Amino acid sequence: MISDAARRRYQAIVPPHVDDAYALARWLSGDAADAEDIVQDAALRALNALETANVERPRAWFLRIVRNAALTWMAKNRSKSLSFAGGADDLAAIETVDFADDDGSPEAILIAAEDGERVRRAIAALPQPLREALVLREINGLAYREIAEATETPIGTVMSRLARGRAALAKILEDKR
Amino acid sequence: MSDSDPRQDQLLRLNAALDDELDAAHRVELERELERDPQLRASLRRLSAVREAVRRHGAAETAPAALRDAVAAIGRPKANGRRVPLSLAAAVAAGIVIGAAAQALLLSSRAADPVAAAMVADFARAGLSDRPFDVASSDRHTVKPWLVAHAPLGVEVADLADKGYPLAGGRIAVVGATPVPTLVYQRREHWIALTELPLSLGDRALGPREGTLDGFRLVRWADRERAYVAVSDIDAAELSAFAAAFRAAAAVGGGEAR
Repeated sequence: MISDAARRRYQAIVPPHVDDAYALARWLSGDAADAEDIVQDAALRALNALETANVERPRAWFLRIVRNAALTWMAKNRSKSLSFAGGADDLAAIETVDFADDDGSPEAILIAAEDGERVRRAIAALPQPLREALVLREINGLAYREIAEATETPIGTVMSRLARGRAALAKILEDKR
Repeated sequence: MSDSDPRQDQLLRLNAALDDELDAAHRVELERELERDPQLRASLRRLSAVREAVRRHGAAETAPAALRDAVAAIGRPKANGRRVPLSLAAAVAAGIVIGAAAQALLLSSRAADPVAAAMVADFARAGLSDRPFDVASSDRHTVKPWLVAHAPLGVEVADLADKGYPLAGGRIAVVGATPVPTLVYQRREHWIALTELPLSLGDRALGPREGTLDGFRLVRWADRERAYVAVSDIDAAELSAFAAAFRAAAAVGGGEAR
């Protein structure tokens, strides 16, 4: 049974962040309909958690639940397609990429950036840990320590994932193909 | 991450500066490095271009209205642990929007029929409220004594669970200044409110009469002792079927068969 206090906190914390939750769920799942299911699932989890949780940063707190709901949902519903966004081998390869290796031209990126579809495909092609850090930062506008909370990751790792994510994206966008 | 590589550290700081996460001292240091290092300036332009591209094209559209409604509804109180019907908020909103345009089809107008207006208002208010019931229970032996204790009128509580209308609870509605007992049944994700009225307030016609007010469906009928008004946002045929099921059950179970 959910208490009235939990419901009141829910109303203050969850509905205001439904757009952020939906955006994150879309980028994690790659599908609009799936994102709706994920956000609803996350909202239910949040309501249950609010019975006891002490929430300091509401948006980061709820987005962490959304992220976990998305990962659970995807593991359950389509384990196969996880590999399309970068399987384990792919991830290992990119995590070891030297992001200091960046001698490409900004102009090529600016030209590619005109093509919205191309940019979205490039983001979708990033390995999930890099993609989620980038989305939380650029789309959701979270600060580093909020990203660290949402992804349950140390801040140092958040920083390197953002650097790697941007470097990987730059490389994809510079590619003439 | 490689802590020993100065170039990587420099790029981490560049990213942090871009994200406004670098403290003032490091920022000054980085600005000096930028002045004397053309390669670092090129890196900054690349990172800025990437960021611009992601912000411009990566933003998803806002959450669909249905999702927004569903997320808000999850936080509202539930009866018997059931989800609050998601359709209700939408139906209430629609009722408000089309209220002026919605002609009462078979029922007389709002002014001429204060009972129907009061029942629809009660139904809408309950849907928006934190407390859709005064007493939440699927057990008629719980609901009935509560209603009898709070409204000066006998109450017929029919068990319609096996017909697909489980009892969800009861509340007291008010018509004019008269408190009237109201049963709340559930049909899938919808509520059906059934109010029992003294004959002095009700519609004395014995046969059921259907109508629509502000987008909600109503069915009214009476027996020798009292009048009934059922209100819901389910469709007319379903509400008529509910009314028929209730009348049949009341006729058998209540010993008040006509």
